[in-house]
Amino acid sequence: MSAVAGRVRLEPVPRPEIELTPLDASRIGRIERPLSPIERLWNVQVVRNVAVVLMFVALWEAYTQIADVPALLFPSFSDTCAAIVEAFSDHRMMSKIWFTVSSLLTGYAVGLLAAAVLVSLASIWRVWADILMTATAMFNPLPSIALLPLAMLWFGLGTFSLVFILIHAVLWAVALNTYVGFQGVSLTQRMVGQNYGLRGVWFAVKILIPAALATVLSGMKIGWAFAWRTLIGAELIFGATARGGGLGWHIFEHSELLNTTQVFAGLFMIIIIGVLVEYVIFRTLELRTVRRWGMQR
Amino acid sequence: MAERPAPIERPELVHAALGRASTADVARPLSLAEQLANVDPVRKFTVLLGAIVLWELYTRLAEVPPLIFPTFADTIVALWKGFTQYGLAAQIWTSLSILLAGYAIGLVIGGALSFIAVSSRFGSDVLGTLTSMLNPLPAVALLPLAMIWFGLGEKSLIFVLLHSIVWPVALNTHTGFMSVAEPLRMVGRNYGLRNVRYIAKLLVPAAFPSILAGLKLGWAFAWRTLIAAELVFGAAAEGGGLGWFIFASRNEMDIPGAFAGLLTVILIGFLVENVIFRNIEQRTVVRWGMQS
Repeated sequence: MSAVAGRVRLEPVPRPEIELTPLDASRIGRIERPLSPIERLWNVQVVRNVAVVLMFVALWEAYTQIADVPALLFPSFSDTCAAIVEAFSDHRMMSKIWFTVSSLLTGYAVGLLAAAVLVSLASIWRVWADILMTATAMFNPLPSIALLPLAMLWFGLGTFSLVFILIHAVLWAVALNTYVGFQGVSLTQRMVGQNYGLRGVWFAVKILIPAALATVLSGMKIGWAFAWRTLIGAELIFGATARGGGLGWHIFEHSELLNTTQVFAGLFMIIIIGVLVEYVIFRTLELRTVRRWGMQR
Repeated sequence: MAERPAPIERPELVHAALGRASTADVARPLSLAEQLANVDPVRKFTVLLGAIVLWELYTRLAEVPPLIFPTFADTIVALWKGFTQYGLAAQIWTSLSILLAGYAIGLVIGGALSFIAVSSRFGSDVLGTLTSMLNPLPAVALLPLAMIWFGLGEKSLIFVLLHSIVWPVALNTHTGFMSVAEPLRMVGRNYGLRNVRYIAKLLVPAAFPSILAGLKLGWAFAWRTLIAAELVFGAAAEGGGLGWFIFASRNEMDIPGAFAGLLTVILIGFLVENVIFRNIEQRTVVRWGMQS
């Protein structure tokens, strides 16, 4: 066939035995139809998330009401809401939240600063890089809460001990991630910076930090997560040994009084603050930087 | 071929000979000390030794009372005594066995949750909402509640450990599954993989860097939670474990003992992070070329 293909075009041989007769299209029905309002609503992510939350709340309320669980063991949702309203009726709850948030912010800010100093030293001198890596390998796996008994001995009971262990919680995670991120900045980008004559601090601010921001941000997120867990744990222990003052202490105080409803109220406030920080503050930061720059999906 | 034209002489552009280069050796073999200083472990070890020497010198020269900051030698002696007299090994075992039990159960639950989530959109929504709400809740905060529900004991500890492991593991596994590239998924379907085999043979290996990150984060949270919980237990009642060892030593003003406890915590954490997880990483994601 190939010999003649150049000149004569062969007609295809009809093969009726393998040919399908066209199907009757009306049997298939509608291929495309407009979505009903319910389906369109269900396609909205937020709607589904809210529905899931509502479902859990309804399950919780139904379980506690129907099974008659004593409020001492597991208070119902409505009781918990009433407890939150009650806790906010005077200034105690607000002052507890403020105590927690302010010590967290102080510790976090100082920790970030210390990490920045350490990483700067490490990027300039190799000795400091070694010191940083050794210290991080040793202190990163050390839960900062384990330092609390010693901190209480050194600095007494008070905000300073809290801030000390918060710094320990933030410092190593942030320093490690930032340093590793800086190391991973490609040579090309570094050369662009050098070409522009950037040096020292400007080199870090304009080249290293933007190029490594994805890693730096994830370090900051881990640092925040450690600090948040450490702080609540520390307040629980402070509550156990002396007068404390934050949300952790609120939980401890009311669980000692077997006031489980208020414990739930405290847990709720902790969840709300945590969700705000992780899904509003950090998410916005990510959206405006690394996602917008196309460094992370 | 035509003859090659002679190059035009440009004496104004020719530089006079510079003579012998006056630089010293351009390349020379490194001295032994320099060669040693280029080895990473040697430098890190030196830093460690330097820190220990500084610690020892500071406490000896400034005569810091051992109640505030014991010397390194005291700490080592206390560590030895802890092992021989105060049953530190048993305390370590108490901590580790609870941690392992919690970690194992947590992995199973986290894995099951992400399998459910990956099989339907509604499941994925349920998991997403649950993790985003419960992940930022520190597990220790649940300890007072757990103590009401399960009493003082292992059960409460395992409950809070579960809480600290399940969410990071489930979250990272789920994100990993979601970001598996479409061509890889198609390869899996082409091979006719379905359900469990699809997850085990395709999704898990493809999302392994993310899963491993979740495992590491889960371990880090669990380790911190366990020590904190043991400290609270130590404060509230007789407990056991490393956290309690630190708390009890400090209460008896045996600060070298507390330092010995901290040293043990550091050693265990270091072993898990830099030996166990590093090994797993080397054998999986690094070897597969997914991570350097």
